Amino acid sequence: MGEGPVSLSLRGISKRFGQVKAVDGIDLSVGQDEFLSLLGPSGSGKTTLLRIIAGLELPDRGTVVVGGQDVTRQPPYRRKIGMVFQNFLLFPHKTVAENIIFPLRMQRASREECVERLGWALNLLKLKGLEARYPNQLSGGQQQRVSLARGLISRPTLLLLDEPLANLDRELRAEMEVEIRRYQKELRIPFIYVTHNQEEALTMSDRIAVMRNGVFEQIAPRVEVYQKPATAFVASFVGQSNHLLGKVMQCAAGQLVIDWKGRELTVPCNETLGAGEAVRFMIKHEDVQLRAMGRASRDQAAFNRLKGKLRDIIFKGQTANFILEIDNGCELIASGSLRDTDVRAGDSVLVEWPQTAGVCFRDKP
Amino acid sequence: MTSLEIQAPEAGVPARWKIPPQLLLIGPGIIFIIVTLLLPLLAVVVFSFWKTESYELFMDWNLENYWVLFREPAYRVFLVRSALGALATSFICLVYAWPVAYFIARHGGRYRLLLVLLLAAPFFTGVILRIAALQGILGPGGLINMALGMVGLQPIEALMYTPVAATLGHVYLFMPFMVTAIYLSLVNFDFALLETAKINGAGPLRAFVEVTWPLNWIGTAIGLILVFIPCLASAVTPRFLGGPKSTSFGMSLSQQFGETGTWALGSAMSVVLFVVSCAIVLLMGFTINPRRSGFTGGRR
Repeated sequence: MGEGPVSLSLRGISKRFGQVKAVDGIDLSVGQDEFLSLLGPSGSGKTTLLRIIAGLELPDRGTVVVGGQDVTRQPPYRRKIGMVFQNFLLFPHKTVAENIIFPLRMQRASREECVERLGWALNLLKLKGLEARYPNQLSGGQQQRVSLARGLISRPTLLLLDEPLANLDRELRAEMEVEIRRYQKELRIPFIYVTHNQEEALTMSDRIAVMRNGVFEQIAPRVEVYQKPATAFVASFVGQSNHLLGKVMQCAAGQLVIDWKGRELTVPCNETLGAGEAVRFMIKHEDVQLRAMGRASRDQAAFNRLKGKLRDIIFKGQTANFILEIDNGCELIASGSLRDTDVRAGDSVLVEWPQTAGVCFRDKP
Repeated sequence: MTSLEIQAPEAGVPARWKIPPQLLLIGPGIIFIIVTLLLPLLAVVVFSFWKTESYELFMDWNLENYWVLFREPAYRVFLVRSALGALATSFICLVYAWPVAYFIARHGGRYRLLLVLLLAAPFFTGVILRIAALQGILGPGGLINMALGMVGLQPIEALMYTPVAATLGHVYLFMPFMVTAIYLSLVNFDFALLETAKINGAGPLRAFVEVTWPLNWIGTAIGLILVFIPCLASAVTPRFLGGPKSTSFGMSLSQQFGETGTWALGSAMSVVLFVVSCAIVLLMGFTINPRRSGFTGGRR
């Protein structure tokens, strides 16, 4: 929850399409200067939720409150919400300038105000000199900027962004991620950002709501979603993890000892589980460390240690993935910088991670 | 030519027999246009400067036919009447066709194709038959007025052999063209733009005026032309439905080639009709700004 007054609050929002529950009882509050991402796989209901907030869909149940006003039954044009779409949706028959001031004209703003705000928007989004062009004369990135300018020009209570970067190439995307976050922080307008791309969500958001099958699996600050996933789904969806399927041997407060294919591991756990229960332990690639065999080890206690062989190194640029064959026949992936290690493919290695790292959940079939 | 023969001796076909494939594709079209459009048009233009005497054309270059058309008020009345009738028909078709086309494009769902095919249903029979049927509905002993008479009401005079009846006939005949033209435009229209307009503060009417109408103007203009031009030249419908006060330019024109046998005058009338039609098409063309039509050519 961001500081300051609440800009948007949803209570018990549900929406069905035929037999499918697209959105199933969502409650949400978004603060005045918050950047919230709705993260989820396709079909998770995140776009439907966004469209309900925008007024493009009517919820079957629940209320939408924007800026203190119940707008559940209000048409989109009375909600004072800005929206940016994946495919830009600029008006092809209007110039850049006409596209951008469209919302102001609809509010019957004066000519002077239109001119002044247009200058502001062109400046903010670095669109100077493109005013007279038509959308088809712009690059994808420029079109997305125009789309953002149109969304922001009338100082909306809320800006909704529906996968706005999905159609842009990688380099441009990275650049726009930073910029979009900057606009949000400068303008202090809450942004709700729908994406299926966890990197985008992690880069930009204050909070992330991870969505699946129409419900929030977890809604928390971004670091918490990454480091302390609330469910197995979140853990597997956010970040790159190894999945270790095992059986509970012993359950103590906050800790489990599990049997993973003949190896004993101590893992953190918040659930109370009985011995013999099937569990899924997930540990992020970057939490797994490896050392050449025979090197002096650190303090003994608080680490899980496994013996294995480095089968391959997959170079990824800044980091590399180390494919490890553990001596129980299973495979793990560790990631790290190539610089910090002197191991080679084929070497015997010691694989280790802190006993507090990773998350463990009951494995539901 | 010799160098060409040296370069392409393969395939056993002598090079000089080879026809460029582009010509094979475009050739039939060119021949068709020359035979069916340009030659008759040329003939009509030539005839319009000739003379007819006792049903025979004489090559005697003069401007008399045009002078007659200019001098005799009857022809002007026919032309203005036809133009007004065509204007009224186009307008009625426009107002009526937009909601129909919009409904099919937007809400037709999987029945869209079926609904569009239904528009073609009237073409299963000939024009004369359909006009005769309309006569049976609108005429004095027709369905409407007979039913009114049975309940003791006065028949509607306006439906019986009047310009109104002729216009109704035109509307009925040309409506499918208008609906189809607008429909084809609307199926290519991205309705998400309408949502975008609404989110950005435009009410339904404003969104229509700002987005839907301008982006579908080309299709609408084509529809208007498809209705206006044949309506301007129409001869059969006013003859069957219009009564004595509806003699149209087209009717008079066809008489020149038929009853009165004044081919030269008829040709001059055809030329006038053609020029007026071209002017209308040009006029409509000026309303289209390709930049602002939404036809962006190199769209993503």
